[in-house]
Amino acid sequence: MTDTALPLVKAPAAPGRERWLAVALAAPALLILLALFALPLAKLLAASVAGPDGPTLAEYAKLLGTPYYLGVIWNSVRLALLTTGIALVIGYPAAFALARARGAVRSALLACLFLPLAASVIVKAFAWTILLRSDGLVNETLLALGLIDAPIRMIFTETALIVGSVNIFLPFMILPIYTVVAQLDPRLMEAAATLGAAPAEAFVRVVVPLTVPGVVAGVALVFSLAVSAYVVPTLLIGERYPTLSTTIAKAYLLARQPTFGAAAGVVLLVIAVATVALSTRLARLGGAR
Amino acid sequence: MSQEPIDAASHLVVRQASKRYGATTVLDRVDLAIRRGELVTLLGPSGCGKTTLLRLIAGLALPDAGTVAIAGRDVTRVPPHRRNVGVVFQNYALFPHLSVAGNVAFGLTVRRRPKADIARAVDKALALVHLDHLAARPISALSGGQQQRVALARALAVEPDVLLFDEALSALDRKLREEMQGEMRRILRDINATAIFVTHDQDEALTMSDRVAVMNGGRIEQLAEPRLIYQRPASLFTLNFVGLSTRISGTVVACDGGIVQVDTKVGRLAATGRFLAGSQVVVATRPEHLRPAAGATGNAVSGRVRAVVFQGSRSLVEVGAGGETLLAELPGQEAALLAPDAEIRLAWPVSETFAFPAPEMAA
Amino acid sequence: MTRPLAILFAWTMALGAALFLLAPLMVIAAASFSPTPVFDLPVGGASLRWYARIGQMDGFWPALSLSLQIAALSTALALALGTLAAIAIAQGRLPGAEAIGTFLVSPLMMPGLVLGIALLQYFRAMGFSAAWSALLLAHLVVTLPYVARTMIAGLSRFDFTLVEAARTLGCTYPGAILKVMVPALAPSFLTAGLFAFLASFDNYPVSIFLTDVRTKTLPIKMLQYIEEAPDPTLAALSTLILGATVILLVASDRLVGLHRMAGTGQ
Repeated sequence: MTDTALPLVKAPAAPGRERWLAVALAAPALLILLALFALPLAKLLAASVAGPDGPTLAEYAKLLGTPYYLGVIWNSVRLALLTTGIALVIGYPAAFALARARGAVRSALLACLFLPLAASVIVKAFAWTILLRSDGLVNETLLALGLIDAPIRMIFTETALIVGSVNIFLPFMILPIYTVVAQLDPRLMEAAATLGAAPAEAFVRVVVPLTVPGVVAGVALVFSLAVSAYVVPTLLIGERYPTLSTTIAKAYLLARQPTFGAAAGVVLLVIAVATVALSTRLARLGGAR
Repeated sequence: MSQEPIDAASHLVVRQASKRYGATTVLDRVDLAIRRGELVTLLGPSGCGKTTLLRLIAGLALPDAGTVAIAGRDVTRVPPHRRNVGVVFQNYALFPHLSVAGNVAFGLTVRRRPKADIARAVDKALALVHLDHLAARPISALSGGQQQRVALARALAVEPDVLLFDEALSALDRKLREEMQGEMRRILRDINATAIFVTHDQDEALTMSDRVAVMNGGRIEQLAEPRLIYQRPASLFTLNFVGLSTRISGTVVACDGGIVQVDTKVGRLAATGRFLAGSQVVVATRPEHLRPAAGATGNAVSGRVRAVVFQGSRSLVEVGAGGETLLAELPGQEAALLAPDAEIRLAWPVSETFAFPAPEMAA
Repeated sequence: MTRPLAILFAWTMALGAALFLLAPLMVIAAASFSPTPVFDLPVGGASLRWYARIGQMDGFWPALSLSLQIAALSTALALALGTLAAIAIAQGRLPGAEAIGTFLVSPLMMPGLVLGIALLQYFRAMGFSAAWSALLLAHLVVTLPYVARTMIAGLSRFDFTLVEAARTLGCTYPGAILKVMVPALAPSFLTAGLFAFLASFDNYPVSIFLTDVRTKTLPIKMLQYIEEAPDPTLAALSTLILGATVILLVASDRLVGLHRMAGTGQ
């Protein structure tokens, strides 16, 4: 088409072209995740019901019908619940202090958050095994302070497990709450005060509801991470506290029971995904209010 | 419509430009011609097509039909980077990773100008907007008004054929906006720039430009000097959109020599215009023409004062008469004597009274 | 009365949390200088001998090299693919952009172990048994969601008018992307790359199912060392890994600022 011949009837830029460009940009990432994420998951689901004579729910029945395996599931959930609860109690006020901090103090606190977050999970779990040994730093300190007479056994107890788990997942609670708190308009508290609310009441009625999205995000993140933790229970408590994760790993790596392992994997997946889905739902409801 | 013929001397010519997005026609066969050194405003409500027209000129959007020519060159299909236009965006679109000087130098750097030339041009542009002392600052350290000046300097530095401003002052507060209006006008005059402003702010349009194009529904309703836009609106839309007015509907009963006699709810009024007897019209006038009457000639209506709005040196008086509302702008002392609900008779000259087709008929 | 108390409480929790979070890192660093083989604190005298022994650990160098290769390659691929997809999503011209964005990020909420066994069965069923390639592909699934999340967030804050401004100032379209969009997105890019790299380098639960006798990543080796014979050599290695992480973080902080990373990286 020449520029001068028919200047009034040029074709408009096709909106379809830009759309195809967008599809082409997104396609490689999408295809990779379809092939290496969605498809393997579907296969896992199929494998969990595979039996010699066609599909069977036998492995699920074994998981959900045996007291031992119900105990295993409960162990995972209990670990996640305790970790989430304790992390919330520590993390919520800590996030407020972090949001109030300025300058060097804030930088230092953020560094205290990011360094452990970036540090290897195995390194941190290993450090706790050193700290909690009967001749470790915690026992030595308690002895030196005269709080105990003989070393307490801590490593390979549930206490060790929870301490390590909270330590490793706490940053995932603080950061989402911090992000929300840092964006809070300080004038909201002033507005509540001019409307007659005492500080405590203003906090409960104005600030707490506004931080719900951050809390929900933190709770979902910590719960889903803790419920599927593998390194932490392996190093800090071991065989005495079988979880879904350690059971799955054993089924594949030692016992060669892939169908059972797949079923356990699906149960773990359902718990983790349900937590996130539920929290998204809750956050939406909170936001709609 | 007082559309001028497109002459060869025009610096920027838009001819029969149309643009549709899906089923919506955003621009409908728009013609626009601007002389070198002229400041023109595209004024209209949101959705009238003014920003789209600006984007067509900048090359950021392509017309479905029609042409754009700048400095005698057809640029309809020329991409924006080869048009030599300068654009000041609504939120300035300053590059956050560059300093003030880096932003101003940007257009020259990508044009591969020698370093010494760039430095000189940047200094000159920054001096023009009185920001030479802030050259090394990061963008984030500037106030809104300073950012506005950087955006202007950046657009000026490339010595564009046309400067385009998209709601460039709307983010500033009122006082700063008025200052910047004056300063920008001075700068643009000094360098004899050809510029187009897009705005929905009629004060900005009337004070800044040599001519104003009032846009509505993808068309230019009127293109004229600010004074004419205000004093001789070509359509009911322009009358409504620019300035305040009294508007009274009625029926034409007689037409003679460009003067129509109109029967209304407040009596018979005379207005300039040519209509057949029986036409439905709207009779209108500007508030400053209405005076408390003392046996004056022209149109006159009696009514009761409904409200007096104090505006400093003058006051706006709202008068109700026969279900219609009249607006009069009176000197402060005169208005101060008016009590609410007081009887008042207002008169105004026929030469300042216009008649437009009533909206039902125009549609 | 209640307000100062509340503030005091918040600060106590914050400082307590900071100490608690740092404790294991400080202990491991201290123990790496232990003069005896039993994790004593180096009170009497520090020793560097454990550092000298790191290289003699069985299978250490191949494991380190493998982990670095997989982390670097999967991060680079994820950055390229994830950024392209994020651009498509952020510009809003992609049909179903929001659903696609959710899908790209969804592996993040998936237990790593489940991804590991799913890929194990999938690769086995396909008869695909090259451990190195399997690890790379699996780690791409680990790193891609990090990049997608950070870049979608970064791009959603990007003002596309900047690209138009650059074009009116004389840039071609690709030139405008290069000169304006790339520098503006550099912080997100760096954050995404950093966290994706660390996630891959530290990954255990996915890798464990995809290794063979000769192909073991560093985390797998480390867990094996810890379970077999924990001695201060491991503390020394851990301290070195921590040191490298600190250097990466400090460099990112210089370039981006931790505060901005808090918003995008978590």
